[in-house]
Amino acid sequence: MNSLAKKKRRFILLSLIIPSILLVCFVVFPAIDLFRMSFTDWDGYSETSKFIGFGNYISMFKNKDLWQSLRNNAVYFFTHLLMIPVELAFAVLLTSRLRAAKLYKTMVFMPYIINGVAISYAFSYFFSPINGAFDEILKVFHLSMLSRNWLSDPKIVNFVLAFVSLWRFSGYHVILFMAALQSLPQDVQEAARVDGANAWQMFQYIQIPAIMLMVDFVLFDNIRGALQVFDIPFVMTAGGPGYASSTFTLYTIKTAFTFSNFGLASTMAVAIMVMIVVIYVVQNKIIHGLILKGDK
Amino acid sequence: MRKKFLALTMCAALAAGALTACAPEDSADAAATTAAETTEAAASNTTAAETAPVEVNEELSGDLVFAIWDNNLMDYIDANDMVGKFQQQYPNANIEVEKIKDDSEYWNAMKMRASANQLPDIMFNKPFTLSRFQDYLLDLSDLEATKNNELTAGYALNGKILGVPMTAGYEYVYYWKDMFAEAGVEVPTTWEQLKEVSLKLQEHFGKDNPNFMAIAMGAKDEWPDYPFMEFMPALEGGNGQNWNDMAAVDEPFADGTDVSKAYHKVYDLFTSGVFGKDPLGLGNDQATALFAQKEAAIIALGDWGLQNIKDGTEDYSQLGCFYLPVRDTEADPFRVVVQGDSFMGVTTHSKNPELAKAFVEWFYSDAWYPGYINYVTSASSMTNFPKDKDPILAEADLAQPDSQLVMYDGGGDDFQTVQNETAFDYKKLGAEMFTQGFDLDARLAELNTKWKDARTKLGTQ
Repeated sequence: MNSLAKKKRRFILLSLIIPSILLVCFVVFPAIDLFRMSFTDWDGYSETSKFIGFGNYISMFKNKDLWQSLRNNAVYFFTHLLMIPVELAFAVLLTSRLRAAKLYKTMVFMPYIINGVAISYAFSYFFSPINGAFDEILKVFHLSMLSRNWLSDPKIVNFVLAFVSLWRFSGYHVILFMAALQSLPQDVQEAARVDGANAWQMFQYIQIPAIMLMVDFVLFDNIRGALQVFDIPFVMTAGGPGYASSTFTLYTIKTAFTFSNFGLASTMAVAIMVMIVVIYVVQNKIIHGLILKGDK
Repeated sequence: MRKKFLALTMCAALAAGALTACAPEDSADAAATTAAETTEAAASNTTAAETAPVEVNEELSGDLVFAIWDNNLMDYIDANDMVGKFQQQYPNANIEVEKIKDDSEYWNAMKMRASANQLPDIMFNKPFTLSRFQDYLLDLSDLEATKNNELTAGYALNGKILGVPMTAGYEYVYYWKDMFAEAGVEVPTTWEQLKEVSLKLQEHFGKDNPNFMAIAMGAKDEWPDYPFMEFMPALEGGNGQNWNDMAAVDEPFADGTDVSKAYHKVYDLFTSGVFGKDPLGLGNDQATALFAQKEAAIIALGDWGLQNIKDGTEDYSQLGCFYLPVRDTEADPFRVVVQGDSFMGVTTHSKNPELAKAFVEWFYSDAWYPGYINYVTSASSMTNFPKDKDPILAEADLAQPDSQLVMYDGGGDDFQTVQNETAFDYKKLGAEMFTQGFDLDARLAELNTKWKDARTKLGTQ
């Protein structure tokens, strides 16, 4: 083996070993420790903890506030899921020859790059019951009768928060779809046009199957994001009133830090990982079945 | 390369300049004013120690980490060069002041650091966190600061003094005198009077101003209901150990208990419409600002709140305050809660515990404490440095000269263990009272069941 080949081999080995060590230290080991902690009653500061078997898992399933928090996560999940086709449509529109497309792209992406806490604070004031901009807008259009307690009515608060989440994250999905669409080979599309395919047929039979990997990613991101949503409800409502707008992550953090129950919080963290994987697999089966059935 | 470096430096300078220019003028002015005021406060409190020769100790040396969350303390430390002054006396010591955003974040950080053996040398505690961190705090019984503090003894755990309270904390109800006069109401001295006064204020000002709140509260943040939800059970029965006593019974929320009586009173007030159209839609900053702008007539806050109110208005000549009247009739004793606040303690993780103790002594000596305590609105906890109350706060004492002080204890180990097991969050419970369809009796019954189960599970006696 000559010296160049040796160097090459050493470089490849190092390139693999260092990330592997980092992965083991910062992902694998903490995950294993998290799993171990989920079977203990550790309070977060004591030097010792007791093994309590499945006690935390039983307690988690019996916790109605946690179930309510999970239901609130579902609002984010379905709202974002329903918006994915709209985001896709926007991406197709912005990829086509549209005047001032760059300006639109910037506008669409801007909310994603603004700090989430800042956005949440801004929307807190936007929906404030006193001097709130949204109520003032309704007043201008003589729609004051539609005014509500946007951040304190348990019936609507989650939809208001999900709207803020949409405002923030939709642009990110649009940009991802656009990146995928722009990478499509032009010759395939031109051939389809020559064969007389219309816009919808192009979209259904060429563009969608070709960007399916990105669709998968966005769907996964939606599940992960919806289950882990934290900053928006934390800043805008602190999960209240009561647990009306709490989310799974918010409740987990409260369990760990307010109620000093790190064991139970670890159980919830394990549960969220399992849920993300399970929902992703189920969703993938359904979506792939629906979208790609035409190919079979 | 040099050109690149020059270009980068110029870009950085340009960006820094632009950012500085973009900073709101008001905030820059405010910062300057605050700094000036802070220095002025210190200067006006020039003590004997500053003129007396400083006794230098070169034996104690090392680094200290001093973790705080209090903005006022931070401002004062920055403006008055605390580290430099300490080093005049201890030239071989170095202090790193670590600022954490707020007290909630502070406890989160401290919990994590306790488990990682990384607590700072000097940390603060609240009454309700002392028992949580008791295994990590050194006994400060022998310090002069402890002996001169009038509150420490009341918070000893197993005979150990684990922290020296920096201030004595009182709770007040602030109000606008001119608004009271216009509505034709007097300062209330019983709970029923408070409700009547609030209703009259709401009726008087609310008819023209739909945004008006007789009592302002930022219930969205949940914690601002603490004067009612946290302290009222103790005030109801005059028992500062109320939380600890609750830990010893199976049904502490049953009818007739102090908690039940207090929370029924609170619920009655919270649902009477005197908190405006949507208290759950407002945070504490908004509620305080609205009170300062006279969009509300009353607000219940600690002594620390006075500064925030003053910051929100140019004219506070009509600002007054009274103590929260919890009693049922004027024949009952008028009780006022007092608690030690910000307990400065030395942790077991300190590598220089003797230096850390020396810092605590220095902090509470005339080299530092008098200037600080006169800078903040809170009351002094040190017998050797008494402080006159702010004239506005003193009005509460004038109105109730015979008030009984109730020394509040935030709850010990047993209470907190059961509280954590049942997820009993009194501040959240208070915020929930504002929601439609909330059933207090059902919730208290549910809490009783949970409490009993938790005690059985934990084997609490």
